[in-house]
Amino acid sequence: MSARNRELFGLVVAGLIASVALASVTIARNAEVAASAAVWGALFLGLYVVAHVVVRRTVPYADAALLPLTAVLTAFGLASIYRLDPDDGGRQAVWVAVGVAVLAATLVWLRHDYRLLEGYRYLFGVAAVALLLLPSVPGLGERVNGVRLWVDVGPLQFQPGELAKIFLIVFLAGYLREKREVLAQGRLKDFGPLFVIWGAAMIVIVQTSDLGSALLNFGIFLAMLYVATGRALYVAAGIALFVGGAAVLYNALHHVQDRVTIWLHPWTDERVYCALNGELEFRQDCASYQLVKSLYSIANGGFGGTGLGQGTFASTDGTQLIPYLRTDFIFSAIAQELGLVGAAALLLVFMLFVVRGMRVALQAQDGFSKLAAAGLTFGFALQTFIIVGGVLRVVPLTGITLPFVSYGGTSIVANFLLLAGLLLISNRANALRT
Amino acid sequence: MTVEALATDETLLILKIAFLVLLYGFIILVVRTATKDIGGAPQESIVLGAADAAAMRAELEVRPGRFLVVASRELREGSTIEVSAPTVVGREAGSGITLDGDEFASARHARIEPRTDGVWIHDLGSTNGTFVNGTRLQKAQALRPRDIVRIGETELQLQ
Repeated sequence: MSARNRELFGLVVAGLIASVALASVTIARNAEVAASAAVWGALFLGLYVVAHVVVRRTVPYADAALLPLTAVLTAFGLASIYRLDPDDGGRQAVWVAVGVAVLAATLVWLRHDYRLLEGYRYLFGVAAVALLLLPSVPGLGERVNGVRLWVDVGPLQFQPGELAKIFLIVFLAGYLREKREVLAQGRLKDFGPLFVIWGAAMIVIVQTSDLGSALLNFGIFLAMLYVATGRALYVAAGIALFVGGAAVLYNALHHVQDRVTIWLHPWTDERVYCALNGELEFRQDCASYQLVKSLYSIANGGFGGTGLGQGTFASTDGTQLIPYLRTDFIFSAIAQELGLVGAAALLLVFMLFVVRGMRVALQAQDGFSKLAAAGLTFGFALQTFIIVGGVLRVVPLTGITLPFVSYGGTSIVANFLLLAGLLLISNRANALRT
Repeated sequence: MTVEALATDETLLILKIAFLVLLYGFIILVVRTATKDIGGAPQESIVLGAADAAAMRAELEVRPGRFLVVASRELREGSTIEVSAPTVVGREAGSGITLDGDEFASARHARIEPRTDGVWIHDLGSTNGTFVNGTRLQKAQALRPRDIVRIGETELQLQ
């Protein structure tokens, strides 16, 4: 079977997975077989067949597994979000369609040579920094949960950090390809950009209190620096700098302290001061309420899960147990309904996406493509780790979306851009090989 | 519990199992195709013992290509060059085969790549083209022994 036919077959399987998930969710909700599930499943498959046709026409040599893996991830997201709130599920479906349209437009635009982007690397760098600082502009930014992530433009809201990540990777790929020899020599003055980007990460933390985004972008920078120079010393120095900076900020910023306290001690035996209502409360009823309820949710799933659409996410009086379940905590919703078996499968799908992405980086011929593919893949992997690790209490929890699964337009569109990048790079690499 | 509710529970259980079976089937599908097209040499692993891996590697051994310099300004004519890894030919310093003074060669002109199925040549978008036996290369091509490759003013013959 040719690569493109393998892709189509994979998409058909993904369509089946989406249909079964949606059918299960609607049956659990209405206690009857709803024909709408089949319609939704068919629409889902149709959408990805359109994407497949565009891929076939524009990047015929591209990796065959990336698009089906994406389809399965969005199927997970759509089914879980639809199960929690049908209206949000509909909106998410629209965003996935917009994401596919953005993917198609990017592939058509850059099908001949995406490397023209390298010429605009500094523009991408400036745009990335501007986007990262946008939420702290007075009048534009909105503070949600003590973190500035959102920007309001008229009726539209978007999270610029998601797009900034992609722009930063394009900038770094161009910049590091140009400077890799100089950087590899390791003279002190050449460390300048390292300090500049470290400083920028620290400013972002102070300005927006957004630990997750700073960690993600700095991690991407270190990974790409390592790919460009092959010097592990830089990574060690970068981690030391970040830990040092974070330690200083830990003492200066309450927000950072709170996150670490919640992570290490989510439960208390005595009532402690609760900043939310100013009274003494158990921490599990106050600051770490969300994380603790999420852990109970995962535990409730057990090995096999409660079944799609049969999890418990609201108390008997109908109030939602876990705030931000559709975005930051979607993983704990999936872990409850599908259990360890399903959650492990979801992580395997993420892992396969990363494996394919790193293969693209290995196969790419030129430095820019290699660095861009490695950066995009590493960013995807690190983002998944930060949020899944946060929900599972492996690392402190920071609000960040689970790629392709979480509810949210900006995140979906940005990740489809990431997919477009990997498809373009793998198309070029495979076209040169065959 | 009414009969209808029981039926729904069973339907949902069946759907959950179907979902998981499809999902793991999909994962196996991707893993199988992913391992099928991996070009690299087999590595020792849990499923593949050291001796088996070595035997498979020997079968997939990449034989280096030896080129005779037929005509060149930069390289000594009559000398041979052995290419055992993918090598870039071009004017750029640091190319595997550097043609510094060849005005008709591009900075990164072509790549010679020995593979299990022979020695391949790729044109890297050079200005003046790469020629095999006088024909301009349109896409990557496997070389046969005695084929003559012309890059700029340099001619190399595969031995």
